[in-house]
Amino acid sequence: MFAYRSGAIGREELEAITARMIPRGPDAGGTWVSPDGRVGLGSRRLAIIDLSDEGTQPMWDVAGELVIVFNGEIYNYAELRASLERGGARFHSHSDTEVLLALYRRDGARMTDLLRGMFAFAIWDTRTRRMFVARDPYGIKPLYLADDGATIRIASEVKALLAGGKVPAAVDPAAAAGFFLMGSVPEPFTIRRDVRAIEPGTSFFIDDGRGIVDERRFFSIAEIFRDAKEDLLVDAAVFVRERVEESVAHHLVSDVPVGVFLSAGIDSSAIAQLAARRTPLHTFTLSFAEFSEAPLAERFARELGTTQTTRTVARDEFLADLPRFFERMDQPTIDGVNTWFISKAVHEAGIKVALSGVGGDELLGGYPSFTNIPRMVRFPRLARAAGALRRHPKARLIAEYGRTYAGAYLLQRGLFLPGELPSILGEEVAREGLERLQPLSIIERTLAPDPETPFGRVAAMEASLYMRNQLLRDADWASMAHSVEVRTPLVDAYLLRQLAHMLPQQRDKSALAANLPGYLRDRPKTGFFVPMKEWLDLPEDGTSTRMRSWARRVWESLSRA
Amino acid sequence: MPPEIPRFARDKLKKILFLVTDAYGGHGGIALFNREFCAALEGVEITVIPRVVRGLVQDPPPHVHFVAEAAEGPVAYLRAVAAARRAKPDLVICGHVNLLPLAFGRPLLVVHGIEAWKRRRLPLSRCSAVLSVSALTRDRFTGWSGFDGPTFVLPNAVHLDHYGIRPKREDFIARYRLEGKRVLLTVGRLEAAERSKGFDEMLEVLPDLPEDVVYMIAGGGNDAPRLQLRARELGVASRVVFTGLFADEEKQDLYNLADAYVMPSRGEGFGFVFLEAMACGVPAIGSKLDGGREALLDGKLGMLVDPTNRAEIRAAILETLERGERRIPEGLEYFSFENFADRANAVIQALTSNRVATSSV
Repeated sequence: MFAYRSGAIGREELEAITARMIPRGPDAGGTWVSPDGRVGLGSRRLAIIDLSDEGTQPMWDVAGELVIVFNGEIYNYAELRASLERGGARFHSHSDTEVLLALYRRDGARMTDLLRGMFAFAIWDTRTRRMFVARDPYGIKPLYLADDGATIRIASEVKALLAGGKVPAAVDPAAAAGFFLMGSVPEPFTIRRDVRAIEPGTSFFIDDGRGIVDERRFFSIAEIFRDAKEDLLVDAAVFVRERVEESVAHHLVSDVPVGVFLSAGIDSSAIAQLAARRTPLHTFTLSFAEFSEAPLAERFARELGTTQTTRTVARDEFLADLPRFFERMDQPTIDGVNTWFISKAVHEAGIKVALSGVGGDELLGGYPSFTNIPRMVRFPRLARAAGALRRHPKARLIAEYGRTYAGAYLLQRGLFLPGELPSILGEEVAREGLERLQPLSIIERTLAPDPETPFGRVAAMEASLYMRNQLLRDADWASMAHSVEVRTPLVDAYLLRQLAHMLPQQRDKSALAANLPGYLRDRPKTGFFVPMKEWLDLPEDGTSTRMRSWARRVWESLSRA
Repeated sequence: MPPEIPRFARDKLKKILFLVTDAYGGHGGIALFNREFCAALEGVEITVIPRVVRGLVQDPPPHVHFVAEAAEGPVAYLRAVAAARRAKPDLVICGHVNLLPLAFGRPLLVVHGIEAWKRRRLPLSRCSAVLSVSALTRDRFTGWSGFDGPTFVLPNAVHLDHYGIRPKREDFIARYRLEGKRVLLTVGRLEAAERSKGFDEMLEVLPDLPEDVVYMIAGGGNDAPRLQLRARELGVASRVVFTGLFADEEKQDLYNLADAYVMPSRGEGFGFVFLEAMACGVPAIGSKLDGGREALLDGKLGMLVDPTNRAEIRAAILETLERGERRIPEGLEYFSFENFADRANAVIQALTSNRVATSSV
């Protein structure tokens, strides 16, 4: 918190905001308020690197001039620290947090260019009376901001900002529209009108008296695809494996044991396989009476020699957890149930860190959208005819939306369509919501600059929209609710830069599948399925999964103040 | 120092046939490796059949029979191979994947870099073993080929006593206008078909470095016009020096002009130039994405950067220039010729023990 115009921040508000995040960091916590009362920092800690008290936040640098609150992990912190030490920097802890302070002192805002990891942090510089704020390239770690013109409040959760009692709870109609169109609230909107998401891959300063200045974008997925040099010196599949293995190795940096979410899918199996070569591993698989991939996962875990936990979840447990599930859900989403229960299992086993295969489809083109969207844009009439033959409700809209990548994406990913919103939200909210949201322009922004290849375009949209707003956000809140940190070796800026030039050629999972046993490699791709329909008796809604009914239920629960 | 490795039993293996692209009278890393490999196996009779002889033929040592006339053409080469076959060598070594179809018996295949990184049709089932200049090339090769026979890693060697720290030559400073400048150097061919040395990456970083830093590209090649244009586009043409092809005897003085040797490359099988630069006391910055990593002993001898991240390249350069230190790094003797010879002999030792079948079928 920074009362950047005048006055002082509220200490009780700071305590309340910090307290809301105790499940995220049960190990320690603290707050600090500047002597003049203008600046306040609060933190809850899940100790993973440097378990000693020296790792506690808010953390000061050795000179006592910079203080930081930081959520995330810096996987290359040891290398950065060595470089800083050669330059004369001194440290009082062994944590990655302190490396951020020293790096800021050396490089200022440019520091973010050298970070490999997931991060959201704020550094208060007592020398210049400026606060430096940054969020990681993909937005793995959430970061939200509320600016009332006098005080800026920043936190990892929308609900935390509201917990202080000073940020209005008014629901944003744009969030309502976005949620029913996409299944999650698209950034930069949040469910609360007065809170916005800080854009991933950007940083800025908050200046005393001036507010937000010097915004800087340090990462753009679209730009990486545009600038990728076309050369294939190495067999593409071999290179993808090599680089993914290296990313997995980086993501194993930890002072506590590491687990892996293991479904019987290719991404999570490959990650478990690569991780198991380097460290003793605990693997976790979710199983439902109605749907289970556990036998395959268990067989693979046996072959890898990991400690395997299969966690079975039944209807009763789901219903019992539902109130807390909604309470910890930071923003409305139609997903998150699987991460909730698998993280619960990880926590029960006493593990704090787990690797996830999330992002494999966005990286390696695993979704049908990688074929469908370019095809729809090239042959809109054909797509429309095909849709009409199958009596698809979206068929008549292809003429309207199917001519651009953004429009085709909205059709492909849409939960509801714009024309259906009035019946859910009422005429007025639907109209205002769509006007504020501008769904097509939100999608188009992810395509600037033009990634130039069909693959690059779809990859940029999927990673910046579905993955960021849904998969990563859900992975964060649903795991942190159980004090578990999810790490994502396939969502990594370094990995993307290394592979971008060959991804259009190697657009399938064969690179990761090559070393897996046949019973995992050769099975058809199945989405992970949670039996919500059976558990909740959701009413008929025209979809096989009853996701639309579930969405209404989520919205009702979350939109209450 | 590694433990003493016993020289293999010379009585069990008397004659080696070595098929190479080039060796004596050749330029470049592969020719050099081939010459060093022969030198290391002193005491064995080695017949070397080259595809190419470009320059003046350096004198081969007495135990090497260099069939220079094989380089006259494909027919001459085949004739030389046929003659060598009749002499019934105890071991056939194939110095390049391109020559594998011509090798007979159960050859030992040598792999270096990009020639072995991509899928291609090769009669690999005949190979008794694979020798690689780096673990990276070995892994990239076995990754696509599935070769599951024995493999050995034998990194390049540097004759430390041939190099050393010298003052910057005044006439060179004048020739390249380096007065008062800090010099970054990359040595390598400017190959339009490859573009993997990291020249582009360096040019792109240059605008972001202090004005007194100049970048020297030492080497000839057909990509020079494009790189010169790129330097102009980026507004750094006045800070880039293209030496063009240089004479071998000028090489050491070129290295000694540099304050840092930087090569953010993606195509080096090993990166012998790093060893030369370090042997001249020039601090080295290499790539995490190719064999440079191994030439710098995983970062122990010099800094490593990800060539796809300009900020990492820039930070490593600034740190190195800031330190401004010229010294031959501790641990470089890992790549001394003596250690190379021990490793080469250990490879042959392993091949001649009964574990690996190398004799002709």
